Amino acid sequence: MIVSSLKLRVATVDDIAPTLRHLRLEAADGSALPPTGAGAHVLLNLPGASRVHRNAYSLTNPPGTRSGYDIIVRRVPASRGGSAAVHERIKVGDLLDAQTPGNLFAPVRGARHHLMIAGGIGITPFLSYLQDADVRQTGATLNLCCRESEQDVFRPWLPAGADMHFHWDADGHRLDIAALLAGQPAGTHLYVCGPGELNEAVLRAAEAAGWPASQVHTEHFGAASTGGKAFEAVLRKSGLRLQVAEDESLLEAIERAGVAAPCLCRGGACGVCVTAVLEGEPEHHDHYLGADDKSAGRLIMPCVSRARSPQLVLDL
Amino acid sequence: MTIAASDIKSRPVYQPLRPDAMASRHWLVLEAAAQGPDGCQALAQAFAPLAPALRVWSIGPLTLGSLPVTVLADTAALAAALAQAGPFRVSDRLYVQGTEPFIWSVASLAAASGLAPEQLLLSHAGSLRRRVWCTHCHGLTEGVTTGTVPCTGCGRQLLVRDHFSRRHGAFMGVMVDAEVPGQRPAVQELFP
Repeated sequence: MIVSSLKLRVATVDDIAPTLRHLRLEAADGSALPPTGAGAHVLLNLPGASRVHRNAYSLTNPPGTRSGYDIIVRRVPASRGGSAAVHERIKVGDLLDAQTPGNLFAPVRGARHHLMIAGGIGITPFLSYLQDADVRQTGATLNLCCRESEQDVFRPWLPAGADMHFHWDADGHRLDIAALLAGQPAGTHLYVCGPGELNEAVLRAAEAAGWPASQVHTEHFGAASTGGKAFEAVLRKSGLRLQVAEDESLLEAIERAGVAAPCLCRGGACGVCVTAVLEGEPEHHDHYLGADDKSAGRLIMPCVSRARSPQLVLDL
Repeated sequence: MTIAASDIKSRPVYQPLRPDAMASRHWLVLEAAAQGPDGCQALAQAFAPLAPALRVWSIGPLTLGSLPVTVLADTAALAAALAQAGPFRVSDRLYVQGTEPFIWSVASLAAASGLAPEQLLLSHAGSLRRRVWCTHCHGLTEGVTTGTVPCTGCGRQLLVRDHFSRRHGAFMGVMVDAEVPGQRPAVQELFP
């Protein structure tokens, strides 16, 4: 379990587009930060209006950088608070608590080619991929689906000569996923990071086109699916009763109650927060549990999953 | 014929070959000497629907229902055929059936062509004879049917173990009389 924490200072705040804000974060004490690889993310504690939000952001600095971490945050209209905090409250000089970065989306080193598909701000992990010497030497192609006006926004993070293709929502410019995936050379690894619909569409198309599952990789946005109906959580070991609000996750409610629950990705991908369900019916939103575990309903990933029943009793 | 169950978990498990409907192009690679008439009939039936996108390559002459078969002399000819058929795509599948040394020789050629393990479907047929990799001289001894065998590399008497290496396509052989020179079990045919 990775629990070691970092104290970061906001060094730069920079609006690169109307809804995109870039933050440069440095160690509060001026020391060198732990180096990270392509695809790594950092978990930040962000001060919200009423509580602290813990969100994971991909690092867009070149792999191995120790002087600072770069993140790019999209302002989401239905923000749970994390992106609103970055866009409204954070200023240069602020101190933020963070966890030592993790990586659940590293490029595969034995690949013969890296084929990336990004939806909007889902480009962020690939900005570090394209700054990785080994990835570039192997060969990498990035397809970005974004607003027509945002094509040049990420230029500062892209090495010259990167193989980039832009797609947007207009006739003649949409990404033809099936055509892209057909006929790719053996040994190509496919990576997709974007909104749920794009991820699902790419995964389905890859399966239909006969891609080996081990060569298809995806990273989901954690924030999208954490809200839902309010319910009650009972923590059997701690003897606590929690009301999980519509706009917070079960994990956030547990943390708010002061119970230290292990977590890493906060997006239902890593499996670190898996918790036993003693009573009640979970509503699964994670990508970690298999179909059997999901239907058995005895395990839950509190970072993204909720309750179908009015109450859940957890072994915490 | 199936290979006897072993406690050693590293050993590959083989399934009968079945076409992968999601794939776009298919190659069926067979070791003719390892195929029986029933097996050939089953294969012909299973793979006939793929005919427009299927190539059948056989090491040695073979009849497979009405499917056209390209006969290749040996694995060197197979390597040349693979090189010519490439570059392969992520949607291609290679189905291989024969003795264990044969299917792993093909697997190693396919891996060199960039095919992922999931693109290779391997099935055992015919003799259980083993390729043995000597832990002392790293030499390979082919066609081993007995529990102990003299190494063709260094001449040591090797005990043929169940530990299998996918990279070598071979079982591990260790000197059987290292402790007491000359003290060896009787030579028994274990892998007919």
